[in-house]
Amino acid sequence: MGVVVRQLAKAYGYLWALKEVNLEFSDGDCVALLGPNGAGKTTLLKLLSALLYPTTGEIKIDGERLRRGNSDLRAVIGFLSPDGQIYETLTAKENLHFFVSLCGKKIDPRELDQVLDQVGLGDWSDTYASSLSHGMKCRLAIAKWSLLQPKILLLDEPYGVLDGTGINLLENYLKGLCEKGGIVVMATHNVARILSFCTRALILQGGKIIFDEPRQEPWESFHRSFAAFLPRDNR
Amino acid sequence: MTILRQIYWLLWKDILLEIRRRETLLSMFFFGTVLLFLFHFSFEIPPERIAEMAPGLLWLAFVFTGTLALTQLFHVEMESQCLEALLLCPMDRGAFYLSKVLFNFLLMVLVELVVFPLFGILFNIDFWRHLPALFSIVFLGTIGFCALGTLFSALTLRAHAKELLLPLILFPLIIPAILGTIRGMEIILGARDLQELFPWVHLLIAFDVIFLTVGFLIFEWVIEA
Repeated sequence: MGVVVRQLAKAYGYLWALKEVNLEFSDGDCVALLGPNGAGKTTLLKLLSALLYPTTGEIKIDGERLRRGNSDLRAVIGFLSPDGQIYETLTAKENLHFFVSLCGKKIDPRELDQVLDQVGLGDWSDTYASSLSHGMKCRLAIAKWSLLQPKILLLDEPYGVLDGTGINLLENYLKGLCEKGGIVVMATHNVARILSFCTRALILQGGKIIFDEPRQEPWESFHRSFAAFLPRDNR
Repeated sequence: MTILRQIYWLLWKDILLEIRRRETLLSMFFFGTVLLFLFHFSFEIPPERIAEMAPGLLWLAFVFTGTLALTQLFHVEMESQCLEALLLCPMDRGAFYLSKVLFNFLLMVLVELVVFPLFGILFNIDFWRHLPALFSIVFLGTIGFCALGTLFSALTLRAHAKELLLPLILFPLIIPAILGTIRGMEIILGARDLQELFPWVHLLIAFDVIFLTVGFLIFEWVIEA
């Protein structure tokens, strides 16, 4: 599985959120997407997940252009948002059952219970999602994507809502996905955490990629580039 | 088969959420009933003119209650970014459109089943012997209203004043469906020759087919805009 991004740009009215982004992701990449607020991280993730379409440029997955109407490509992309993207008035189990069935996968109800147990929601499987905390909704989203098994998983700041166990759960899932040849791209501000297991880091600033390197020890170039957008007191 | 399965699951979700939330249907029942009482107290219709005036009043009540449902049609999807969750699914966007049309149609039919007899009682109209024919024509009109209404409901989804905007763009375009249904009901209630009914039935069928097809084909561009 390879993802190629060429001359990607996205404008919201007169504001260019992304400018001429060129990237390539290959099997097993676990990418930390970093940058200050408004750098274009979420826009890049939404473009990669086809929730937005580019103003110019293109994204190709295994040589096939990501565009409207391409359901086959959508099946390989997952997007984990901290809000969970789940229906508040459905129970945890119903949410999983609905999304998995809608995506065309047949599932045994026992398998649903098993996955909910794995993410620590076994006791809340029949609870409405509206009664779950943000962290629990995020765990439910992890359960959803682990059932749907996307080959490319995009994550937008999931650390903020998860507790310690939740973070371990998420990271183990992401490591497992990358080991199986999947691609993970995570936008986050928790730099210390993501640097502990990512294989590559990207820094976006003002809609442009200012840093793109595989992880190495020591990583002086990363710390220099990253410090550029930190407040002066924190450098 | 895939598209039918997708429609089934989307409809299952909408019905289950409506049963639990009881927001849209109860509001529609209440609003429809209030409108009928308002019409009843506002107009004194002589018995000989009832066949001319009843269809218009009845359809005004249906259109207003239906518009109320349309403004809430994608409300559950806008909560917790569920629309994004659906758009991430590898499903046919046309299935999403048809499921919403069916759900809206179901809500409107349930309201019509209550409003119809109530209107008959309030205005002392003998509906019962014309009921199959009346329901057939109302059925066609309701499909047209739902087909176009669902499309515009999705189109105004991200607009700031969608509740204001939706009727403004929907009502001018829905005129053929309203006109066809009202004229058809007049012919049935006036016990006129059924031959006169056919042009209006043809108009309604054409309206339904055109807007269901257009909606199915362009919904992807509308919902992902």
